Amino acid sequence: MKYILISLISVVSLFGQVKADDVKSFTLKNGMKLFVLEDSSIPNANMYFFYKVGSRNEYIGITGISHFFEHMMFNGAKKYGPKEFDRVMEANGGSNNAYTSENITVYTDWFPSSSIEVMFDLEADRIAHLNFDPKMIESERGVILSERSTGLENNPLEQLWQETQATAFIAHSYQWPVIGWESDIKNWTKEDLENYFHTYYAPNNCVVVISGDVKLDEVKKLAEKYFEQIPAGQKPRPVHTIEPEQSGEKRLFIKREVPSPYIMMTYHVPQSGSEDYYALDLLNSILSEGESSRLYNSLVYNQQLALEVGSYYPEAFDPTLFYFYGVANDGVTAAQLEKAILDEVDKIIKDGINESELQKVKNQKLMSFYRTTETINGMSNTIGTYELFFGDYKKMFSAPDDYKKVTAEDIKNVAAKYFTKQNRTVGILNTEEIQ
Amino acid sequence: MKKDGRCLMVDGKWRNQFLLNLFAILIILSSFSFAQFKLPKYEVVTLDNGLAVYLMEKKDVPIISFSAVFDAGAIKDGAQNGLASFAAEALKFGTKNYNKTQIDSIFNFYGSSLNTYARLDYSGLYTQFMKDDLEKLLPVIKDVITNPTFPEDEIVKRKQRWIAELDQAKESPRQVIGVYYNKFLFADSPYGNPVDGIKKTIEQIDGKTITSFYLENLRAENSAIAVVGDFDSNKMKSELTKLFSDWQVTVPRLIYDSRFIKQDLKESSVYLINKDNATETTFMIGGFGVPMSNQDQIQIDVINTILGGRFTSWLNDELRVNAGYTYGARSRFASYKTAGSFYISTFTSTKNTEPAIDLAIKTYNRLFEKGIDEVTLKSAKNYVKGQFPPGYETSGSLAGFLTQKYIYGLEDSYINDFENAVDGMTVEGANEIIKKYFPKDNLQFVLIGKADDIREIAKKYGKVIEKNISEDGF
Repeated sequence: MKYILISLISVVSLFGQVKADDVKSFTLKNGMKLFVLEDSSIPNANMYFFYKVGSRNEYIGITGISHFFEHMMFNGAKKYGPKEFDRVMEANGGSNNAYTSENITVYTDWFPSSSIEVMFDLEADRIAHLNFDPKMIESERGVILSERSTGLENNPLEQLWQETQATAFIAHSYQWPVIGWESDIKNWTKEDLENYFHTYYAPNNCVVVISGDVKLDEVKKLAEKYFEQIPAGQKPRPVHTIEPEQSGEKRLFIKREVPSPYIMMTYHVPQSGSEDYYALDLLNSILSEGESSRLYNSLVYNQQLALEVGSYYPEAFDPTLFYFYGVANDGVTAAQLEKAILDEVDKIIKDGINESELQKVKNQKLMSFYRTTETINGMSNTIGTYELFFGDYKKMFSAPDDYKKVTAEDIKNVAAKYFTKQNRTVGILNTEEIQ
Repeated sequence: MKKDGRCLMVDGKWRNQFLLNLFAILIILSSFSFAQFKLPKYEVVTLDNGLAVYLMEKKDVPIISFSAVFDAGAIKDGAQNGLASFAAEALKFGTKNYNKTQIDSIFNFYGSSLNTYARLDYSGLYTQFMKDDLEKLLPVIKDVITNPTFPEDEIVKRKQRWIAELDQAKESPRQVIGVYYNKFLFADSPYGNPVDGIKKTIEQIDGKTITSFYLENLRAENSAIAVVGDFDSNKMKSELTKLFSDWQVTVPRLIYDSRFIKQDLKESSVYLINKDNATETTFMIGGFGVPMSNQDQIQIDVINTILGGRFTSWLNDELRVNAGYTYGARSRFASYKTAGSFYISTFTSTKNTEPAIDLAIKTYNRLFEKGIDEVTLKSAKNYVKGQFPPGYETSGSLAGFLTQKYIYGLEDSYINDFENAVDGMTVEGANEIIKKYFPKDNLQFVLIGKADDIREIAKKYGKVIEKNISEDGF
């Protein structure tokens, strides 16, 4: 449940040391686009591969396959068989990980820059020649089932999250969890995986970002040598489903033994980069960033109604959800907590926010940007995220103007526009349902 | 919702490995000489009141990291479990010049936040802010450290939530198993103290107990401040001297004897924690480790990398990759000032509890039965060297190192000679390290799961002591 909100970028052109021009890019003949940022502060580098595929590209029967596929990318190709990707990488001082969201799948390698060519060799092998060993598929299925159950076991909020999402959407593929439904995890086949690979894992469906102690010319040469020969694929079919407008409040209840109730509320909102995006993003910070934020200050600190409370506005290609969530304090009912959250929402709709709050969240975004630029990982992840979700990595440098344009009135307006009863889904998880 | 993919990231490190000879030839055998990473230049001054101040300029990003540590960790809690941790948070409840809301608002307004925490050996304060806001925030930090007032109304409010949070934490076996493990292993010694306390002892905390703990333990002469970032050292030095020179405490300092006297474990035992609605068994297996002062720390880490410290480690390879029992398995040495623990940790569905524990033990025993070979050692050496520099990339991590240096007496050579120490390891030396430091007999087990389903299995591994997770404490 840890989310890195990479959208927190602001005023870079005025204050930041890193400039848009420091990021170089080139595109290979097969359509693979690469970004390079030279930074020699440590003798290390990284490679981030952003594939434009996530659980939104799935359908019922293969839910969770994007994430499963992500695991399978480590289980053997042509030159490097099962287990060898990790062994060779680690023996060369590198490590790796990956993550899958509703929208994208991202693979990351971190390594001493002297090992860069090995990384290219490993990645090219799996992008061009991934292999599906039936034995590896079966053991990986067990791993995913364990990943799914351990998430649910250790975090009641994850269970509530999954089912609230599934209730809020009726048409769009954002309705199922990234990890997938258990029966789909148990039943997908080798053919499903092969189809997925051929549909989405083409170099022209991928953006690569490399930051660290590297030279642009060297990266270019290696990219041409290892990646350019991989054939381009057909453009995948776009996701065309549009979620119909919600026509009334939806409510759900989950029975689970817990010390105090959990609540989650969602509202349908537009996607990243849309007209209202920046106002909604600032509103999210006003609601829940820091101990002085609206929700924490009121519900946790002043009223002692919640142990934990927050809001979340994810990056998304398609219209998505704005989330509120909370864990009730001992002796507090779900209804009390729900009312308290709604009271805070209503306050913003009615009275708006003040100028000092607006300045605060702009400062928070600037600070967050600086934290991002402190590490080569922060830079690679942010460049790729902006390129994919905002259509151009340079948007991370022009974001200050976009945020600057947002007024206190805009924030009040988006709250009123989207946080309506009709547009709301409320989920409650508790030991007993109290009427 | 984002799904972190492949493996659990714990303490910023991946866990696990195993190497079939069949694949060994594919591994590149040379031992790399990566560009040496050195600790950047820094300055240390001690103020007249004994406060140690570390200053390191780092100007690539216009921010400053501020880390303070106090010799006031949970090993000093005595019978009042949770006191050090509560006192650390209570620093922010109000000071001579600012109330709690003002402290939170000032830091948040400048895009920052102020964090305080306690560990077993020490407690601390950490923040990071833009260099232009230094003058506005430094006086607040000073007040939080030297002039806290511990207002009773704030203490009462926080206590109520704290107690509810202790119940909430037990919803997540992964979050609390380490506390049960330390309690089981170190028993009633100070290293068995649950850092965040138990409901009964938190209930007893009030302004008086916190004030006494503060005056006796948070003192200039046993504290250090490390500032790393975009500033001028001379100016910073005079600013900090001006602010902190008047930090004087007249209350006599208490001298604690929190040394851990290691007694040999006479038999294997199992601490079975029943969680009625569990569908998984979360477990730890291990014994005593080594204190921070141990001279072989780096070598021990290299061996542990092979056993359970990276993705291809033996434990992760067997339990996750080969058997599909779990999402991740790892091992770790947790080292403290005068004590240490070693543990293997993972989780699996209730039905796989027995084969998973058996496989973990079998895999661990390979260390003693077969030892480490040349290829595996080289791979692990390259891995730890290659992954080392990013751990010291940010102003925050460097400030963290400087304060750790103060608490544990670490030498700069830990960073500057890291590569040499790793390179110097031989297969013979590695196998000696295993014999010397990895606990072989009388292993201790903690299992959190559905006791009715795993009680008989637990008996196989040693004498079983059972407890319900809903019982107060650990």
